[in-house]
Amino acid sequence: MNTYVVTRLILKDWYLNFGLFVAALVLGFATLAAIAAAKATMLAVILGTIVLVTILIGMGAVVMSSPFNERKQQTLPFVMSLPVSYLEYTTSKIVGSLLIFGALWLALLLGIVATILITPWFPHGMIPFVVIMAVEVLVSTCLIAAVSVTTESQGWTIGVTQVGALGLNAVGFSIVRLPGIGHAMSGPTIQWSSTATLLLLVEFAAIVLMIGIAFWVQSRKRDFV
Amino acid sequence: MNDLAVRFTGVTKKYPHFTLQNVNLELPTGSIMGFVGANGAGKSTTIRILMGLIHQDSGAVEVLGHAMPADQAAAKRDIGFVSEDMRLYGPATVAWHMEFIRSIYPQWDQPYAESLLQRFDLKPQQKIKGLSHGQRVKSALLLALARRPRLLVLDEPTTGLDPVARREVLAELTAVLADEDRTIFFSSQNTLDVEQISDQITFIDRGRIIDSANKEIFLDRWRRLRLMLPPNTALPHLPGVVEVGGSSRLPVLTICQFEPAMVAACQEAGASVQAVDPMTLEEIFVVNVQNRRDRAIA
Repeated sequence: MNTYVVTRLILKDWYLNFGLFVAALVLGFATLAAIAAAKATMLAVILGTIVLVTILIGMGAVVMSSPFNERKQQTLPFVMSLPVSYLEYTTSKIVGSLLIFGALWLALLLGIVATILITPWFPHGMIPFVVIMAVEVLVSTCLIAAVSVTTESQGWTIGVTQVGALGLNAVGFSIVRLPGIGHAMSGPTIQWSSTATLLLLVEFAAIVLMIGIAFWVQSRKRDFV
Repeated sequence: MNDLAVRFTGVTKKYPHFTLQNVNLELPTGSIMGFVGANGAGKSTTIRILMGLIHQDSGAVEVLGHAMPADQAAAKRDIGFVSEDMRLYGPATVAWHMEFIRSIYPQWDQPYAESLLQRFDLKPQQKIKGLSHGQRVKSALLLALARRPRLLVLDEPTTGLDPVARREVLAELTAVLADEDRTIFFSSQNTLDVEQISDQITFIDRGRIIDSANKEIFLDRWRRLRLMLPPNTALPHLPGVVEVGGSSRLPVLTICQFEPAMVAACQEAGASVQAVDPMTLEEIFVVNVQNRRDRAIA
């Protein structure tokens, strides 16, 4: 693996997405500040959550569809003229996209947790649910990355983005009904149940599986441009 | 040191509606090969196989001593590639692209890159999305040339350029040829460009290499013989006649294996040789392709 060139490709993607990253970060923290400043109103929390989820899914879709965009914008021949194999290119795309999205995701997750902790009227019991849902956003984004890298198709990428957004609602709706999650959500303290741990393990396993499949499919491809 | 920069041996690539068939090609180090073919002839497929971007179904490809596509990353350290369908990053500047390529290629020649900026009239701080097509091609060419590659692969780089930009690009390529160790593989539909800078010519049509030779040999061996035949005189039998045009009294023979002795042979057969016309590369290409297609139908 030519880690030096892979690193340069990741830095290239970081540079090209930096403006969007900063805009998403600013908008995300502005939303958190607005939620914290609002007086314990359910409307503010719902609207804020919708904005944050939209920022994350939107940024995830943009960043993770970068492999498809390289083909659409015809920059793939330029990248592939560099001294890299296609597997190295795939590595740069997946790792780079995850790093860019991961940085935003982590910053906003920490921001959300901090907002819950420092805002007096927020029940701290929500934090396990918030963390599980945030990781679910990461799962959905990895699905977009895997599909975008392997298919390089706009249709498929848009399709899985929509499936991921719908899946997020379904997952949220389902896990809030689980006894180990839903019962503790309105409590004043964080109660980390075995159900929550299991859900997180399943989510991380799904991430590893999707990325593994993406690399496996890419390693079997014969035509790239 | 391997004296062949590129070697294709029995390369085949099948698609549902197109097959690149049994391509054998040798490009000696330091030579400039013009690769000529119509749209859909297989030029880009051949070049993509050369670059390791698509895998051949069978046959072997060796580029700068590296087996392709397995060793493509190592081979591409010494290759500069520009293709008609290649785009740079729109939001980034020319200077950013130069820095990006410089960070990857240790042999990047900054003074040369700056001289190319001036010659091509490019502004480093200009964003790619604000450039004209000609400026984008020149930018891509600058990025390929300033990395000082041993092999320059150009897939229709002059397509869509205005005459001034085309002339500038060709002039720079001609200047690059001063380096005898530099090898260039140059595909084009434009036979004038190829004739101007190439020393080797290869024609491809419908996925097959139909002819490949040194340019001078190519131009020397193709001729049009304009004859005048007296009544009741048969057309002389000459080797390598690919096309007979004109009238029965004033036939025009297109010959692919012309020898000066053929003029005397015609005269001995009773024909009067009115003219022996040289042919342009475009004429040779068109007749060659048409002849092969006619033979394939027959």
